[in-house]
Amino acid sequence: MRKADAICALMFISLGILVCADSMRHGVFGWDLAGPSPGMYPFLLGLGVILGSVIVLGQTFLRSRGAQGDKPFIPPGALKPVLCVGIPSALMILLTQYIGLYLAAGLYLAVYMRWIGRHRWTAVLVVSILLPLAGYLLFEKWFQIPLPEGSLTARLQF
Amino acid sequence: MEALRSLLLGFGVFLTPYNLMVAVVGIFVGAVVGVLPGLGVANGVAILIPMTFRMHANSAIILLAAIYWGGLFGGVITSILFNIPGEPWSVATTFDGYPMAKKGEAGKALTAAFCSHFVGAMFATLMLTFFAPLVAEFSLRFGPPEIFAVMMLTFSAMVGLVGRSPAKSVVSILFGLILAAVGLDIITGGLRLTFGAVELMGGFNFLVVVIGLFGIGEIFLTVEEGLKMQGVTAKMSMRTVITTMKEMPRFWRTLIRGALIGCWMGIKPGGATPASFMSYGFAKQLSKTPEEFGTGTMEGVVAPEVAAHAAGVSAMLPMITLGIPGSPTAAVMLGGLMIWGLQPGPMLFKEHPDFVWGLIASIWASNALGVLIVLCFVPLFVAILRAPFSVLMPGIVFLCAIGAYAVSNRMIDIWYMIIFGVVGYVFKKLDYPLAPMVLALVLGDLAESAMRQSLIMSQGSPWIFFTQPIAGVVNGLAILFFCWPAFKAIRGRLSKGKNLSGRDVRKVAPVDA
Repeated sequence: MRKADAICALMFISLGILVCADSMRHGVFGWDLAGPSPGMYPFLLGLGVILGSVIVLGQTFLRSRGAQGDKPFIPPGALKPVLCVGIPSALMILLTQYIGLYLAAGLYLAVYMRWIGRHRWTAVLVVSILLPLAGYLLFEKWFQIPLPEGSLTARLQF
Repeated sequence: MEALRSLLLGFGVFLTPYNLMVAVVGIFVGAVVGVLPGLGVANGVAILIPMTFRMHANSAIILLAAIYWGGLFGGVITSILFNIPGEPWSVATTFDGYPMAKKGEAGKALTAAFCSHFVGAMFATLMLTFFAPLVAEFSLRFGPPEIFAVMMLTFSAMVGLVGRSPAKSVVSILFGLILAAVGLDIITGGLRLTFGAVELMGGFNFLVVVIGLFGIGEIFLTVEEGLKMQGVTAKMSMRTVITTMKEMPRFWRTLIRGALIGCWMGIKPGGATPASFMSYGFAKQLSKTPEEFGTGTMEGVVAPEVAAHAAGVSAMLPMITLGIPGSPTAAVMLGGLMIWGLQPGPMLFKEHPDFVWGLIASIWASNALGVLIVLCFVPLFVAILRAPFSVLMPGIVFLCAIGAYAVSNRMIDIWYMIIFGVVGYVFKKLDYPLAPMVLALVLGDLAESAMRQSLIMSQGSPWIFFTQPIAGVVNGLAILFFCWPAFKAIRGRLSKGKNLSGRDVRKVAPVDA
């Protein structure tokens, strides 16, 4: 946990530096026709993030000297279920770019229910067809909100 | 009397068949959202905002508010029957609600909780009806320095009263503000923080961020903890409901105390959770039988629930009068306001009285409707909770993806959603509070323009924030709030050893959602 804390604080510090560097381009303390130059506000924010993260970093090190026990960032055995959710979801989004959200979601539901939920095939088929279909009727037909179409299936006018 | 006449106008807006239907649908959806793990109220509202683009603003806000109330009701069900607090302010309810359910008094506990919600809502709405116009009238005098000062107060209240680690809260707020600043500069039209990437030109939409943080991030947390859905069955019968309702007046002192605490705490951002704990604590200390608390006493359910719901309603006060949301859900609604083309803040009362009073009238009516709906459909909501997680989870991700895409029909937003899901998961684990970040993201542009306009007024002198009377007082308060954790640390060190004050509220529940 301590290591993760430190890494996160370091990432924030680099974000702060990045923000400050970008703000410099727009001028930080200048004054133009529209008042203070556009770089001032983000520069202050970036500076604040750096300061805050340095404090967090300091606290992390101070604490690590006193305490002995440190909980791991991810409890043992918890990484697998988290990845089991994260990776298929990311794959679904990747697929959406090619075959559209409905087909991708149907596949995703089916894969997740079958291999992780271990449901019966009939249940898998029913849910993974009905849910995207319900989404289609609800959003596309009723609310008239277009949902992502894939580059491969766009021609089918589905 | 002015307020009563306006309220009548509001009921005129609300009491059309369409708006009534919208309210009922909203409560229903909200209760489902509140019950489902990984689909918090703020997230539910964010997913549904794109569906309101085609609605009239009056109906749209009624829908979103109804989802909010429904979500507050729904959270009760999980905390009493399953010992899973759906939202952090339901944590105190589990102390006595779950033991009651285990004793076989689930129906009684649920009825008591719903009735307390009703009382809390009525109390807070009463306050809102008569108080909101006054606050709005007063804040009409606010210029950019005052608006900026109020925002500073909001943020420092988040740092001083909410977060466990003040430094992390500050970083979280600044991160939100930075995200809001990405893209077109609102005043000069220059591009900032885009680093040449076309995708970043449009900036980050807060709805997408909310869906990622509270939706996807919550799912990661839920699977990590391993979901155990071992609930107690609830038998609701008309008789339990009626006998419980007859018992309610016995707790009038707890009810009024809790409602007052809720109204007071709810105005400040992130107030609902501390309010529920405070109300529970007071009820226990002032009770004749404090030893019964924690073993399943009805008063222990009534006290936190009345305060939590009163706080939820009074969080609307700063939102409609000042344009400063008191909770992430209110922040999402405020963003909705801007999308529908309304300028949040005191001018709303002058320019769109039908909108404001329609909303206030709908709070009265939706909460009354809500009690009836949730009481009737408890078994249905419980059935939803018992659905297997491997079906629910991909379904929720599917819904979140639709919500994220529908915001502005950009594929990249779905990717942002997943990325912010990971961010939310990591932040939650490392104790970076999410609520202040969302607030900062929504308020970012307003805060920046208020600051720049003030500086233009003063020709560059930052003292304008302290020399204007109202702004000066508010900024002074902000600094006080900001330094509060330091004061408390010093006091804590002085009184070490004789600390009898009991549990630290914020250790039990970091404030979110």
